[in-house]
This record gives sequence, C-alpha cells and structure tokens, in this order.
Amino acid sequence: MIFALSEEQRLIREMVRDFAEMEIAPSAALRDEEERFDRELMFDKLAELGLTGIVFPEEYGGAGADYLSYAIAVEELSRVCASTGVTLSAHLSLGANPIYLFGTEEQKQAFLKPLARGEKMGAFGLTEPAAGSDAGSTRTTAVRDGGDWLVNGTKIFITNGGEAEIYIILARTDKEARKHHGISAFIVEKGTPGFSFGKKEKKMGIRSSPTMELVFENCRIPATNLLGEEGEGFKIAMKTLDGGRIGIAAQALGIAQGALDTAVSYARERKQFDTPIASFQGIQFQLADMATQIEASRLLVYNASYRASAGLSYSQASAMAKLMASETAMKVTTQAVQILGGYGYTREFPVERMMRDAKITEIYEGTSEIQRLVIGASLTR
Amino acid sequence: MNILVCVKQVPDMESKFKINAAGTWYDITDLAWRMNEYDEYAVEQAVRLKEQLGDADLTVISIGPAKVTETIKKALAMGCDRGVHIVDEAVAGREPYEIASAIAAFAAGKEFAVIFTGMQSQDRGSAQVGVLLGEMLSLPSVTTIVDFAYADGTAVVKRELEGGIKARIKVAVPALFTCQLGLNTVRYPTLPNIMKAKKKELLAVPMAELLSVEPRQETVKISFPEKKGSGLILEGDPAELADKLIRILKDKTGVLA
Ligand SMILES: Cc1cc2nc3c(=O)[nH]c(=O)nc-3n(C[C@H](O)[C@H](O)[C@H](O)COP(=O)(O)OP(=O)(O)OC[C@H]3O[C@@H](n4cnc5c(N)ncnc54)[C@H](O)[C@@H]3O)c2cc1C
Repeated sequence: MIFALSEEQRLIREMVRDFAEMEIAPSAALRDEEERFDRELMFDKLAELGLTGIVFPEEYGGAGADYLSYAIAVEELSRVCASTGVTLSAHLSLGANPIYLFGTEEQKQAFLKPLARGEKMGAFGLTEPAAGSDAGSTRTTAVRDGGDWLVNGTKIFITNGGEAEIYIILARTDKEARKHHGISAFIVEKGTPGFSFGKKEKKMGIRSSPTMELVFENCRIPATNLLGEEGEGFKIAMKTLDGGRIGIAAQALGIAQGALDTAVSYARERKQFDTPIASFQGIQFQLADMATQIEASRLLVYNASYRASAGLSYSQASAMAKLMASETAMKVTTQAVQILGGYGYTREFPVERMMRDAKITEIYEGTSEIQRLVIGASLTR
Repeated sequence: MNILVCVKQVPDMESKFKINAAGTWYDITDLAWRMNEYDEYAVEQAVRLKEQLGDADLTVISIGPAKVTETIKKALAMGCDRGVHIVDEAVAGREPYEIASAIAAFAAGKEFAVIFTGMQSQDRGSAQVGVLLGEMLSLPSVTTIVDFAYADGTAVVKRELEGGIKARIKVAVPALFTCQLGLNTVRYPTLPNIMKAKKKELLAVPMAELLSVEPRQETVKISFPEKKGSGLILEGDPAELADKLIRILKDKTGVLA
C-alpha cells in the first residue's frame, strides 16, 4: 500500500489551490453575505481549467483523470469556498455522471460532452416536498403521450437550480409497480416548455450556491431523453448518489481543512496571558484532535475515490467517507470558532461561515442517519 | 526556432525551515516543493514566444533528484514541448558555476536562439546561473526583464532600473534573458494539460555526464537572523506618553529630525 499522490495528482492539487486562493477566496465572504452565485467565477473559470469534466474520457470532453483528482479539486475549492465546491460536485457527480454511466452514445454526445467541457451546467432533481430521505416516494409523474413523456410535479432543494442547462429528473412512470420500481430518470433541458423555476431557498450556509424549486406542468420530454431503462430510475439515482457522496465528502474535508488552517495560524498569533494561545496545552489538544479527525476523513475519502477509479464497489466506502468527513467538518468548524473566541463569531473571520457551510454536508445527498442505514445494511445483508 | 527555459524546484516559501545537521543549508525533509517563482515567469514567456512563432520547439530543463520531474511536468503542462532532467542527488550543495556549466554542456551545439531563466532562485538567490550560462555559451544576457517582445530576430525588452526608471533594450538573438516579477501573469496548467504532460518526452541525463568543473565557492554556514528584542512598552498618562514617544523618535530614528 503506497500512501502517496501521483505527480499528476500533486500538480492538480497545486493548480487548484493556487486558483482557489487567488481567484475564489477573495470574494467568498461577500458572495455569502449577498447570497450571490457568480457563474463566470464559480463555473466558467473551472471549465477553462478543465475541472468540469475531470473524470470523463477525453472523447466525451473530459480530462481522463481519476476520482482522486476530482476529490482533490473539490477539497481545494471547498477549503476556501464551500459553495464553489458544491457547484462543481453537483454539476459533475449528479448532473453529468448519470449520463456517463447510463446514457446512450447519442445522449453522451448531445449532453455529456457540453457538460464535461463546461459549456453547460448540470443539476439533479430527486428530492420532493414529500420525498426526502425516502426518495422512493417520488410523486412527480411522467406519462407516455404518443412518442413523448408528459411530466408533472415539483422538485425542491435543487443545487445549481435555475443556473443549470441540463437536469436529471426522477419521475414515477408506473403507478402500479412497487414503490422503487416504478421510477424512471429523464434528461430535461432548461427552456423546455412546461419546465419553470419556483422559489430560491434562503439558507443558513453555502449561500453563494443557488438552491431552487423546479416546477413541471405538462412538460413534454422526447422519448430519446429517457435515461437508462424505464423503471430503472431509482437504481440510477442510488448509483449517482454513491458517486456524489465522494464529492460531498471531499467538500466537507475541504471545509474542515480550511477551518483548521485558520485556527492554527490564529492561535500562533493571538496572545493572551502574555503568550500565544497556541502555547496552551488546552488549545494544542483541540488542534491535535481536529487534525487527527481530518486526516482520518481524508484517508476514507481518498480510499473511496480510489475504489471508484479502480472499478471496485464503493457504495459502502463512499457512505463511510461522507459520514465521517461531514461529521468531522461540523465538529472541527465549531471548534475553530471556539479557538478564535469572539473574533471567530464575527464575520471578520471565515470560520463562522465554514461552520454554517459544514452543516449541510451532514444533510444533503443522504443525511448522516441515511449513511448509517447504507453502511449498516451492507454489513448485515 | 529552438527555445530553452531553465527551471529550479524550490521549497514552498511558506514552509517552516530548519537548518540541516551540517549547518550549511536548510533541512530538506518534510518540505513541500514547487517551481521557483521567477522561473514561472520564464516558462510563461517562453510558451508565449512559442505560441507567437508557431513552429518553435521549446525545451524545459531542470537539475535535481527524482522529485524535480514534477516541476518539469508542470512546465510541460504549461506548454513546453519536451523536458530534460539532469539527475543530481547532490544539487542542494552545488554552487551556481557548477549548475550553469552543466546546463551549458547540455545546451552547447543545440542552437537555442532564446534562453529564459528566472532572475534568481527563491532559496539561494545568487542571481548568477542565468548570466553565467550566457557567458559560457557566448550569448548576450539581459537581466531582470519586465517586458518582452520579439520580431524578426530581434528582442525588445524592458528592464527595471533603480528608482522606478525603465530601460528599453534591443538585442539580436541568440540571447539569454533572466525574468523578473511583473513580466507576465502566469497561466494555470489546466487539468487536461497536466494529464497530457506525462505523454511528452522527458529525457534523463546523469549530472556526471555534463559536469566537468570543480566548485569555486562553498557555503560554509547558514543561520537564522538573531531574534530582535521585544518591543518597547511605554507607560504613563497620555501627555507623558506623547513626550516619551517624541523623544524616542527624535533620538533613535530619522522619523522626526
Ligand atoms: C442546500 C440543499 C441542497 C440540496 N441539493 C439537492 C439536489 O441538488 N438534488 C436533490 O435531489 N436534493 C437536494 N437536496 C435535498 C436533500 O438531499 C434532502 O434535504 C435530504 O436528503 C433530506 O431529506 P429531507 O430534507 O426531506 O429530510 P427528511 O427525510 O424528512 O429527514 C428528516 C430527519 O429524519 C431523519 N430520517 C429520515 N429517515 C430516517 C430513517 N429511516 N432512519 C433514521 N432517521 C431518518 C433524517 O436523517 C433527518 O434527520 C438539497 C438540500 C439542501 C438543504
């Protein structure tokens, strides 16, 4: 077992870190304050750097790199701005990847290519008002009408909503079939008549990432936009989330690392009782626990990424990585605020934002409870 | 046209430095490494020249242990065509004359019309390798350039002089240029180009094949600057404090005459 990144992975980390620090970090606090998504900065520039299609083969407009490179990119972006991290993760893992995994060659040419190149942005609509953790309760319907499908229903909490051009949507196509079996996946383009956007969520964290409601009213979708087989939608959604969890785990890891870095440098500077607070064992013990938990999370995230690229099963590994990294992010950011004291509670320093951002990683793409269900089920199967 | 750019791998300057056991250099364990900042300007300018000319062939060269291939690959990802790695485990102890000699031995006879180097390295900072290399290859060297333009065999460059004055220099190629901050904005190596870099030619040459000179200088000792005394804390009421402060500024500094 070799615990070393390849030269390419190290160069990717250096490039994304330089880019994140120079270009993304300076506006992170203001974008959070103004709840503003900056597409040029947070997506178009990522496309120029080849980050929007990291894991896809070159023939589909990707860079042909591995999942670990992807995780490193999301980690480094999230270290300075979790909103930018999730923009990439939702686009790549949730919007583009299902087309790569389940799409026909025509669908890959038509939709995956522009997504991988970053000419278009992707999003994923599974959650509904009555179907959260219980994704099988999807109520949105798709009914055959001639050669097309007519979609009706509402999706909520959709990351990149409104901004994205291509959406993967889960809808019930068979009311008779048992819960999970009657769901199918569709590719829906922004601008399709009958597809509109509802309210934009006002959130606690990742406020620079848009979260929107999608509304379908007799939205007509051509049969060629059915993704995978009819009735295969739930399986597609679960597979997609297995990959997505690597992205969210990497996002959580980046947030935690950003908070630790801030806490360490603050503790070395801040003097109380005539000495830097970093010299107090009480502070050092906190920093030691934070760093240890982060390193453990990193190994889980990188392991899940490795398994995904090696063609091994990674459902359990990515659930473990997401569970550990997100709970670590919450603990570490809370502790970072504590180490910065009153200053940490103000918006002068980034740790309060990181603490607000960390919370969502325990909720989306399956709550911590759902990750435990996934891990537990795979252990006791 | 053949273009050469010389790059050095240096520690990330945010590293925590320790002095090595011999006391002659910094301890190289547990450091993060990256391309010398000034060499990044050199690579960027070389790639721009290549892009301008279209049919140029751009070689990047670096001396050091196995890990410097990472820095060479960064240059390849930025747009260099081929890499040359002069393999040398002992690079940290080399003086500029040895480094320049080895590069000159490699470059001799290869008809490089334009050579770019950084103005200096961020760690040793001798600013000698570029100009020594120019001398050894009998080329004119123009140092610390902040602007570069090329047309029809002639380069027109700007140099920054003391006091903010700039000089414009015209020089016929072949010539060597050492690059200063402000020359250009360095591109990010894109992810697809990082992936493609590993498919580009990377030639490894043992240092022993190129090095034929003896060192002429030796670093005997390096040390951290001595810790300055802690600041002066004045006490008393505001009027008294102001008087004390004015006295100190008059006596000990040139701030108040
Ligand atoms: C900012 C944001 C962005 C999002 N982006 C997207 C997106 O892009 N696409 C998308 O489809 N969705 C998205 N979501 C939705 C997100 O995935 C869901 O909110 C999440 O899955 C939880 O669903 P819920 O909110 O309905 O909570 P519920 O499912 O109602 O859960 C409530 C609580 O009950 C617990 N619980 C539920 N079931 C069980 C159980 N069986 N055992 C134990 N505990 C249980 C949960 O863990 C939780 O603590 C996003 C949400 C947010 C807030």
